[in-house]
Amino acid sequence: MRPLTARRLALICAALGAMLFIAVVISLRMGAYPISIPEIVMTLVNRFFGRRNEIPPDFWNVVYEIRLPRIALGILVGASLSTAGAGFQALLRNPLADPYVLGVSSGAALGAIISLAIAPQTAGMIQFAAFAGAGGTIAAVYFLGRRGGHVDTATLLLAGIVAVSFLSAVIMFLMTTLPGREFRGMAFWLMGDLASPPPISSHWLYLLLVIGVGSIYTTSSDLNLILTGEQEARHLGVNVNRVKIVVYVAASLLTGLAVSVSGAIGYVGLLVPHLMRMMFGSDYRLLIPTSALGGAILVVLADLLARTVVAPTELPVGAMTALVGAPVFIYLMRRRVR
Amino acid sequence: MLETQKLKRANSNNAAMIAFAGALLLLATAVRASADVEPGGQSNARTPRYRIVTDDVGREVKMPIEVNRIVTLAPNLTEIVYALGLADKLAGDTNECDSPPAAKSKPHVGEPQNPNLEAIIALHPDLVLATTAINRVETADALGRLGIAVYTSDGEAETVLGILDSIARMADLMLAQAKGADLVAQMRRRLDELHKRLEDRPMVHVLFVVWLDPLTTIGQKTFIADALRWAGTESVVLSKQTWPQISMEEVIRLEPDYIVFAGTHGESKATELTDLRSRPVWRDLDAVQVGHVVNLNQEVIRPSPGLVDAIEQLARQVHPEAFARRSENRGPSSEIPAEEPIRCAR
Repeated sequence: MRPLTARRLALICAALGAMLFIAVVISLRMGAYPISIPEIVMTLVNRFFGRRNEIPPDFWNVVYEIRLPRIALGILVGASLSTAGAGFQALLRNPLADPYVLGVSSGAALGAIISLAIAPQTAGMIQFAAFAGAGGTIAAVYFLGRRGGHVDTATLLLAGIVAVSFLSAVIMFLMTTLPGREFRGMAFWLMGDLASPPPISSHWLYLLLVIGVGSIYTTSSDLNLILTGEQEARHLGVNVNRVKIVVYVAASLLTGLAVSVSGAIGYVGLLVPHLMRMMFGSDYRLLIPTSALGGAILVVLADLLARTVVAPTELPVGAMTALVGAPVFIYLMRRRVR
Repeated sequence: MLETQKLKRANSNNAAMIAFAGALLLLATAVRASADVEPGGQSNARTPRYRIVTDDVGREVKMPIEVNRIVTLAPNLTEIVYALGLADKLAGDTNECDSPPAAKSKPHVGEPQNPNLEAIIALHPDLVLATTAINRVETADALGRLGIAVYTSDGEAETVLGILDSIARMADLMLAQAKGADLVAQMRRRLDELHKRLEDRPMVHVLFVVWLDPLTTIGQKTFIADALRWAGTESVVLSKQTWPQISMEEVIRLEPDYIVFAGTHGESKATELTDLRSRPVWRDLDAVQVGHVVNLNQEVIRPSPGLVDAIEQLARQVHPEAFARRSENRGPSSEIPAEEPIRCAR
C-alpha cells in the first residue's frame, strides 16, 4: 500500500469532487423538460442576485423544485449509505457487512409501514418511524449478536440475516392484510425511490450527514488498527470500545437517515466501499471520504439514468445502482485477480 | 515518530473533510433560501381569475375558472374527459391510457403510480386530474408544491352510484355540467333498465378473477363488487380487502357458478377457457366444465363511463334468458337497446 500523504488525499478527493460536480451538472441539464445549460445558468444567476421575477416559472420549478432537491437527496443518500457500509465493514471486520444485510433497511421499512397504518396524514411521521425502525433493528441485531459479553462477528451477521427475513415476513403480512391506499407507495418505497424528496429546506438532514460522516472519519486511524486485530489495537493504545460505539451509532444514524428519506436502496453500502478499496487501497483515512464522494456520484448518476432512460417513465433507482455499479465492480475485481 | 506524523496528516485530512461538509451545507443553504420565496405566484399574471374547489379527498384546490389544458393521471380519468367531449382540452395522459384509441397519441407523462413531474410541467396544465384508485398521495403533494392544481377524485367508492357522483363532480369541475348530467343520467337509466330486467332473477354466484397467478379477486367493499350486483351476480369471496389473494381450496369450497375475468389479460373467452381446462384443479370445477367463463371488457375495474358497458356485457352473458324474454314480450321493434358505447359519445 502506498503511504497516505495529505497531498494524495487532497488530489483524490478533488478528483472525485470534480466528478461529482460533473454528475450534478449533467443531472441538472437532463430530464423530460428540455432546458439548456445557458438557461440553467441564467436561472441560477438570477436566483443568486435575488431576481426571482426574471426567472420563467417553468425553469424555476424544474431547476429548484424538481431537479435540485432530487440531486441533493441523491448526494445525501449515496454518501450516507456508503459511509455507513464502510463503517460497518470495519466494525464487524467482515467485507459482507452493509446496512441492507444487517436488516437496518428492512427495519426502517417496517417502521414506515406501521406509521402509514396508524397515522397516514401526519407530516414527517413516516421519516421518524423509519428512523426509529432503523435504530431499533440495529440495536436488536447488536444484542442478538453478542455472545459472552462481546460481539461475535459471525453471530451478528447471522442475526442480521434472521432480522431481514423476519422483518420482510412481517411487512408482507401487513401489506396483504391491511386495507388502504397508502400502501401503494410502499412498493416503490421498498425498492428505493428518490422521486419524492423531502423539501430541500430540511437543513437538519444535511447536518446529520455531516455529523455522521465526520464522526466516523475521526476514528479512521483507529479503524485501520482495529482491522489488524482488536487485541493488537488495544496494545497500541486504541480505546476499542469507544471507537466501536462511535462507529456503531454514527453508521446507524446515517442508515436511518438515508432509508427514512429514500426507502431501501440496497447495494450502495456494499458496492461503493469495495470499489474505493480496489482503486485507492484500504486505508480508512482515505476510504471514508472517498466512499462518501463515490456513493454520492453513484446515486446521482443512477438516478439520472432512472429518470431519463425511458422518459417520461421513471425506473426505480435501486435497479439503476446495480445496473451502473455491478459491471464496474466486476471489472475492478477481475483486474485485481490478474 | 511515524505514528505522530500520520496523525498530523490525519488532522489535515479532517480539514478536507470539514471543507467537503461545508460545501454540502452551503449547497443546502443556498437552495433553502431559494425555497423561501413563495411558489405559485408567478402564474397569477397570466390568468388572474381563480376559484377554490374541494376535491374528493377533502383538499382545497385553487384552479383557474377556465380550464383549457388538462392532464389526466389514470386511464379512467382520460375516458371521462373524452366522454365529456373535452378531448381538445386534454393536454396529456399516462402510458396506460388506451381508451379511446385516440388517447394513445396524446403526450404521455409516465406511469400513473410514478408520473414524471417535469413532463407534466412541460405541458402547462391548468388542471391535473388524479384518482385515489391508482395514484399516490406523494404525486399530488409534489404537484401542489409546484403550484399546479391537482384534483383527486374518489376512485375507491364502494358503489357504482358513488362512481357516477364522482364523474358528475368532475364534469362540474371542468365546466361541462350539462354534458356531465346527460352522461350520468344515461348511465343511470341503463342501470335502472338492467335492474328492472334482472330483479326477479336469482343471483348468480361468480368468482371474479383479476389475476390468475397469483389468484387475485376483489373484496366486498369495492365498486366492482357492486357492479357485479347490478349485473345480477354476486362475488363468492367475502373479504374486506380491496384485492384479496385467495387459495384454490377456497375456490373449490365456494363452488362459483361462473368464472368472470377482468379482461386484464387481453385474451378472448375461448383462450381463457382452454387455459383453465389445462390447469389441474381448475379443469374440475363445474363452472369450467360447462364453459361458464366470462371475459369482460377491462372497463369493469375502471371507475369510468365504460363501467356500465361492462356491467351490461356481464348481465347478458350470465342471464341470457332475461334479455331474450323481454325482447320477445316487447316485440321485435324494441329489441335489446343497442346503445352505442357511452365513452365514444361526443
